[in-house]
Amino acid sequence: MSLNILELRNINKAYPQGRKVLDNLIFTLKAGEYVAIMGESGVGKSTLLNLIAGLDTPDSGEVLIDGVAISSLSDDAATQLRRERFGFIFQAFHVLPHLTLLQNVALPLLLNGQSLQHAEQMLDQVGLQGRGQDFPRQLSGGELQRVAIARALIHRPKLILADEPTGNLDPDTAQEILQLIRAEINANNASAIIVTHSHMAAATTDRVMNLRKDGLHPMSL
Amino acid sequence: MKQSYKKNKKRFVMLIGLLFLMISVMTVNDSALSSRLLPVLPDHLLVFPNDYGAHPDFRLEWWYITGWLETDDKKKFGFQVTFFRYATDLNFGNPSRFAAKDVVIAHLALSDPAVGRLMHREKTAREGFDLAYSKQGNTGVKLDDWFLVREENGTYQVDMRSEDFGLQLSLRPTQKPMLQGDQGFSRKGPKPEQASYYYSEPHLSTTGTVFKNHQSFSVDGVAWLDHEWSTAYLDSDADGWDWIGANLDDGSALMMFQIRGKKGDRIWAYAALREVSGEMRFFTANEIEFTPIRMWESPHTEAVYPVSMRIRTGEIEWQLIPLMDDQELDSRQSTGAVYWEGAVTLIKDNRSVGQGYLELTGYVRPLTL
Amino acid sequence: MMLNRWLLVGEWRSHIGQALVTLLAIAIGVAMGFSIHLLNSAAFNEFSAASKDLSGQSDLLVRAKTALMDEALYPQLAVYDGVAVANPVLELDIAMPGKRQARGDYKLKVIGIDMFRAAQIAPDLLGVPEEGKAMDRLADDTIFLSPAAMSWLEVKQNDTLSFHVGIQSVSLRVAGGLVRARSGQSIAVMDIGAAQWRLQHLGKLSRVELKLKDGVNHAVFKDKLEQHLGTSYAVVELENQEARVANMSRAYRVNLNMLALVALFTGSFLVFSTQALSIIRRRQQFALLRVLGFTRRQLLWQVMIEGMMLGILGSIVGVVLGYAIAVSVIEFFGGSLGSSFFPGIKPDINFEIWTALIYFVVGLGVTLLGSIVPALEAARAKPALALKLGSEDAAMKKTSFPWFAIMGLCLAVIFTQLPVLNGLPVFGYLAIALLLIGSIALIPHVITWLFAATVTFRRHIRMGAVGFLSLARLENAPNHASIALGGILASFSLMVAMAIMVTSFRESVDQWLDRVLPADLYVRTAAVGDLGGFHLDTQQIISAFPAFSRVDFFRTQQVLFDVDRPEVTLFARPIDRIDPRNTLPIINDETHAVIALDSLPENVLPVWVSEAMVDLYGYQVGERVMLPIGASTHEFMVVAVWRDYGRQFGAIQIQLDDYRTITGDSTVNTVALWLQANVSMQQVIEQLRQLPFGKELEISRSSDLRAISLEIFDRSFAVTYLLELVAVIIGLFGVAASFSAQMLARAKEFGMLRHIGMTRHQILLMLATEGGLLTSLGIMFGFLLGWGISLVLIFIINPQSFHWTMQMYLPWGWLIMIAIVMLITATCTALLAGRRAVSKQVIQAVREDW
Repeated sequence: MSLNILELRNINKAYPQGRKVLDNLIFTLKAGEYVAIMGESGVGKSTLLNLIAGLDTPDSGEVLIDGVAISSLSDDAATQLRRERFGFIFQAFHVLPHLTLLQNVALPLLLNGQSLQHAEQMLDQVGLQGRGQDFPRQLSGGELQRVAIARALIHRPKLILADEPTGNLDPDTAQEILQLIRAEINANNASAIIVTHSHMAAATTDRVMNLRKDGLHPMSL
Repeated sequence: MKQSYKKNKKRFVMLIGLLFLMISVMTVNDSALSSRLLPVLPDHLLVFPNDYGAHPDFRLEWWYITGWLETDDKKKFGFQVTFFRYATDLNFGNPSRFAAKDVVIAHLALSDPAVGRLMHREKTAREGFDLAYSKQGNTGVKLDDWFLVREENGTYQVDMRSEDFGLQLSLRPTQKPMLQGDQGFSRKGPKPEQASYYYSEPHLSTTGTVFKNHQSFSVDGVAWLDHEWSTAYLDSDADGWDWIGANLDDGSALMMFQIRGKKGDRIWAYAALREVSGEMRFFTANEIEFTPIRMWESPHTEAVYPVSMRIRTGEIEWQLIPLMDDQELDSRQSTGAVYWEGAVTLIKDNRSVGQGYLELTGYVRPLTL
Repeated sequence: MMLNRWLLVGEWRSHIGQALVTLLAIAIGVAMGFSIHLLNSAAFNEFSAASKDLSGQSDLLVRAKTALMDEALYPQLAVYDGVAVANPVLELDIAMPGKRQARGDYKLKVIGIDMFRAAQIAPDLLGVPEEGKAMDRLADDTIFLSPAAMSWLEVKQNDTLSFHVGIQSVSLRVAGGLVRARSGQSIAVMDIGAAQWRLQHLGKLSRVELKLKDGVNHAVFKDKLEQHLGTSYAVVELENQEARVANMSRAYRVNLNMLALVALFTGSFLVFSTQALSIIRRRQQFALLRVLGFTRRQLLWQVMIEGMMLGILGSIVGVVLGYAIAVSVIEFFGGSLGSSFFPGIKPDINFEIWTALIYFVVGLGVTLLGSIVPALEAARAKPALALKLGSEDAAMKKTSFPWFAIMGLCLAVIFTQLPVLNGLPVFGYLAIALLLIGSIALIPHVITWLFAATVTFRRHIRMGAVGFLSLARLENAPNHASIALGGILASFSLMVAMAIMVTSFRESVDQWLDRVLPADLYVRTAAVGDLGGFHLDTQQIISAFPAFSRVDFFRTQQVLFDVDRPEVTLFARPIDRIDPRNTLPIINDETHAVIALDSLPENVLPVWVSEAMVDLYGYQVGERVMLPIGASTHEFMVVAVWRDYGRQFGAIQIQLDDYRTITGDSTVNTVALWLQANVSMQQVIEQLRQLPFGKELEISRSSDLRAISLEIFDRSFAVTYLLELVAVIIGLFGVAASFSAQMLARAKEFGMLRHIGMTRHQILLMLATEGGLLTSLGIMFGFLLGWGISLVLIFIINPQSFHWTMQMYLPWGWLIMIAIVMLITATCTALLAGRRAVSKQVIQAVREDW
């Protein structure tokens, strides 16, 4: 078993209109590593995340998750893999409004057919003790993102993909959330990629990469 | 658009609805001779009072009264009252009380120089239910509220009123009936069956009332009655006829007619003058002459009528002067017949010698269709 | 305002499908309503114009209360003071053997006239003979046919037309056409004398039409004449006749119009649901607009304009479509819409601009009504709140008013207790509308209660993510759910209601037919006028047949009770003296008493009346009534009420013996025959045919009569089925529209779920489960609501419209079948709409932020 949780091998991807986004991209993420990817708008950060999550397929090259080429899997198999090994955190939180916080958090467990016991504990961990029966509309943005983090980690995924998780939050709350993500990743022994424009967010990671037209390059803040 | 169509159509209906009767009244083809209806034969004696009544065994019959009336203030009217009886020759086996065996048609016309044109009305009904009938045995014809009846003493009562004009007259004979032709057998054409039974009652002393526009006028005057019945009548070549019946001031009575052919020829002519003494004078065809003096063109039908004529019977000549020119009876909207039927004065030696009625038919189109 | 237009065009461009569906639904609703109105009014106008034409320009007409009058009255009327023209008419409907018309109407109306009288009143009726054959119009062997009659009977001028009158055959020469007949009007004209003779009605007239002299006061004249004529004659004005024609079909016409309105109503519901969902979808857009400086009023206006544009376009399309439908229906099916109210006519559809305008306004109004609540909601939303997650459903909550719903339902119950208004079940229809509106408004609350009630139960059930998510959505977003549910509820409940009503009606008719057709064979003569047909000698010949175990004779007649109403049918027949229930389908329950015959006083004659007589003429059991039977009126006592589905304008039955004693008329029209056990029906029919008058008999097995009756029943309900189908289709449109709108609104949800590991399959399954659950709920509630509506239809609207009651029957098989079909259809609709939920775009949607 490889120590690399994620490996991108010579990824090429063009938009349907033909514009090339990713050109021979190579990248490796080690287990337990927390990496930030920065880059200008339109450089292909979202496309990259979709490729990693198996929600999109590269024109050529391979995406290996834990040594499994997700890019060559069927949609169902990729979904299965994603369900077990990934956790997602979105800029817009995407907490289901008609589910309670507890239910929202428990969703991955439900999908993986696991026991729902940990959900409450997980909520406690993200600082929402005793609010499991609340509905999302009663929450602030920061609190919603806490729910999202809990949902991303509940099933102990190997890889967390966070897409601008603090984009909708004020700086103080953003700081809290970033701390929480960091702490939770460590606590759950997970790896993580965070796509962000925020230097503050990038600063909380182990290393920072810059996505440019010519590939991923390490950058220092 | 639809409405006007309907209206026109309605007129058309009325026209064709009753036209056939007039046509049938005037002409009968040989082929139409029926086994049920009797032909008119010579050597048949008229029997009175029976022959005053209706003769349902014959196809067509009419009582035709024309005359001059005068109000107290010397205003003059001409009038014409006719009742036709027409045997349909149908429905013989039909027990229904509505069965159309005989049809009664009535015409009423009034000539008033103050109006300047002929006022006329007509009605048609099948006999039945006592609403319309023609009685046998004595004159008695009725059509709804119009009637003509001959009383025991020989006086005729006529009552015919419409919404805007009408007549109520009592007509008393002053002379014996005048049998036309050979004792009432009156030929109308070269063929022997082209004939009718025909008698007249001239010099009927008339009194009564003329109704006009909700006014009534007491009138008196002199009238002429024709009663005629037949089964076949006109020759198929006939184009029309000119007829006159006149009460002459000296008490004599003149009846003459000619039947014109389609080729401008004359098919038949007849004239009889009854002297006060009762003596009948008949004239041969070449003693009879109708000569137009003045033509009048109808503004209604564009027909041209010889409204003023010179007539000759043997050596006697009269000139006919109409009471007014427009005495045309234009019933194209109902029965379809168009003819001139008007009061005329007879002039002899520049002197009025009598009053009569002139009938001019076939001037708008041939009567045989 | 330009911005309004931009927004509108933008919205429609991006959701053209939804806009089209909504537009179509409005158009269909308006088209149904308008075309039904056009068809009905055209048929009605044509029919009443046709019957008016038959009486021409008469002022009044005199008729007997029984079908025909003695001709002796005619000369009296002709000379009656004030009468200008009296036009005698004998009008008879004659069966044309083997010439059944497509509409099931095989009788030729033969009018006997006196042309000289008719020419002054109804000149259009004169025949047009061949040139030179003018006398054909007075002949006793001729008949004139309208063009429609000629083509129907396949005869032309100079052909021979043969038919039966009673047990005799008649041949007449077709002498020509008529001056004018309405297109499609099958009538014939004969000379009145010929008609009396040939059609065996010597001495009889149908009516005498009167034209009065100028200046005669009609009302005074009418009063005087009525007094002169006495009770057995009616003096009828043209308005009476029109009222009679109108009354004949009014209930039927109103019912169809109501059904069309229901279709329009489901259309308005569709507008509501698409608008509501479109507003939910655009909450953030609206919030942005508000932030940018749109006032509430402007926003309200924006949503209303969208609705208005849909309404205007949809209504215009609907009006045009409605006209086109009406014209083609007339073209292909004739004007009677399957009913038998308007026989023998082919109406023209006129584009009535004012009516079109009314339907346009109704369509627009309904659309605006559907838009107003969502528009208010859009305007009311606080922009800050609108940006927050999950506030969609919170916001939606305002659109449902539980008190309003409950009040509506209560009012509906009260309305069912109210009497008819102007002869129409107005409150019944209002009750149905309120039931629908109230129930739909109540749905979200019911869902909430339902989940609250089952919360413990559900805790013990383990379910997968799909089931969990589906249920959670229903439970916690009841307003969203209820928008889709409303559509299902409306269409399913209407379907259920109609199905129950029609089944109950059909079952009741079926059972009733068993009761009223107990014999094996029914023999009639070719019915003409009120001719008996079978005289005593023929009756004896039939009675003498050894093959019959029992022979009953019937005398039926049409009797005029009220000049404004259609005739009442009089049956004279032997009725079981010991227990009349053996003969008649007598209703005997708490509201319908029955008087035993042996408790009747001496010399009191019993009469059994149909339910319509109670409703229309106020007859009560125990009441003594004067009936115009024979030449005068006679006193009878109402002894019981019986059920009659055959004649909605009333029918009465008396003992044949009583009838004969009163009228001296010993003829009968119908003979009911019971066969001996060992006799074959075919043999008996052949034997009857061997009789000297056998060829002219109309012999029907009771099974055939049953089949024909049920066929007529089904045909009259065909339009109903069609309308119902349209309502259902519009309802399904609503379901489809709301599902697909929800797909758009929920794109982010699906995107997130795909991210966190739901397969496409699972998402589709979730949608199908949601759709299925919703539909099941809709079906459940729809069944309850439909059952409630059917109660109103069966026990309120039907008796009030048609004056007959029926028992309730639930067509379980059919209901289950439509429930399953509905379930499958709605689920498939949800799935179809869900294709978008598994597309690539939803993955992008998670990053699509404003």
